[in-house]
Amino acid sequence: MSGCDYAIEYVYQYLDEEASFFTTSRIRLHLRRCAPCMDAFQFESRLKEVIRERGKSDPPPELFDTLRALIQQERENNESEM
Amino acid sequence: MADQANFETDAMQYAPQLYSAALRMTRNPADAEDVVQETFLKAFRAYDSYTEGTNLKAWLYRILTNTYINKYRKQQRRPSEVELGELQDLYLYKRLGEASGATQSAEADMLDAFVDTDVIEALESLPETFRLPVLLADVDGFSYKEIAEMLDIPIGTVMSRLHRGRKALQKKLWDVAEEHGITGDRS
Repeated sequence: MSGCDYAIEYVYQYLDEEASFFTTSRIRLHLRRCAPCMDAFQFESRLKEVIRERGKSDPPPELFDTLRALIQQERENNESEM
Repeated sequence: MADQANFETDAMQYAPQLYSAALRMTRNPADAEDVVQETFLKAFRAYDSYTEGTNLKAWLYRILTNTYINKYRKQQRRPSEVELGELQDLYLYKRLGEASGATQSAEADMLDAFVDTDVIEALESLPETFRLPVLLADVDGFSYKEIAEMLDIPIGTVMSRLHRGRKALQKKLWDVAEEHGITGDRS
């Protein structure tokens, strides 16, 4: 397997920081001397950030109150059972 | 052993994240609220089985994921592993590269054009089998091991579903990009 194929095969494990020490070292070395792979890795890394930053939604404002009330109700039920 | 008296203080901070994850799973605000409420109730009841000092966020997510799966998965046909076609590696990078005329690093800049609703639409378009691992890894930042425990599948399965799920996500983002014209010739 060429250095480029190897790097692409393990791109996610590398970016997820789940690759072995050996794989991480080998990819790091390859990226230092392969500009196209470096560019692709930077893209995948940026994409991960974009998904993380923009893939979330805010809860409805009353969520905290609803949950607190729910737990409070559960406490009261427990107490009355004792 | 954790004290139930501290439950709100400890757990409430994770409510927004849990709600967001539930919304991506159920794709429906009312169902998301139901799942989060049930999660909090179960977590409160089981709080003395949570070991203090271990990862509370992961513990809550495990309950959330199980609640979602138990409640909603039975509505679905057995998810097929082959419902995603084979896609090439670096799918989005290559498509954007072709569209931009292959200027170095232009592809990464093009990602700025994707807005929240594009990303959310792409995530929610994934079949559930792939959506859950992708959500848990990419949006919530859990490790493969944590995801394997939450979904009760081997780590190798987490990795293969993530791999295929991310490719499908890239394909969908590309479709969205084309639809919204953000890949067009803007020069």
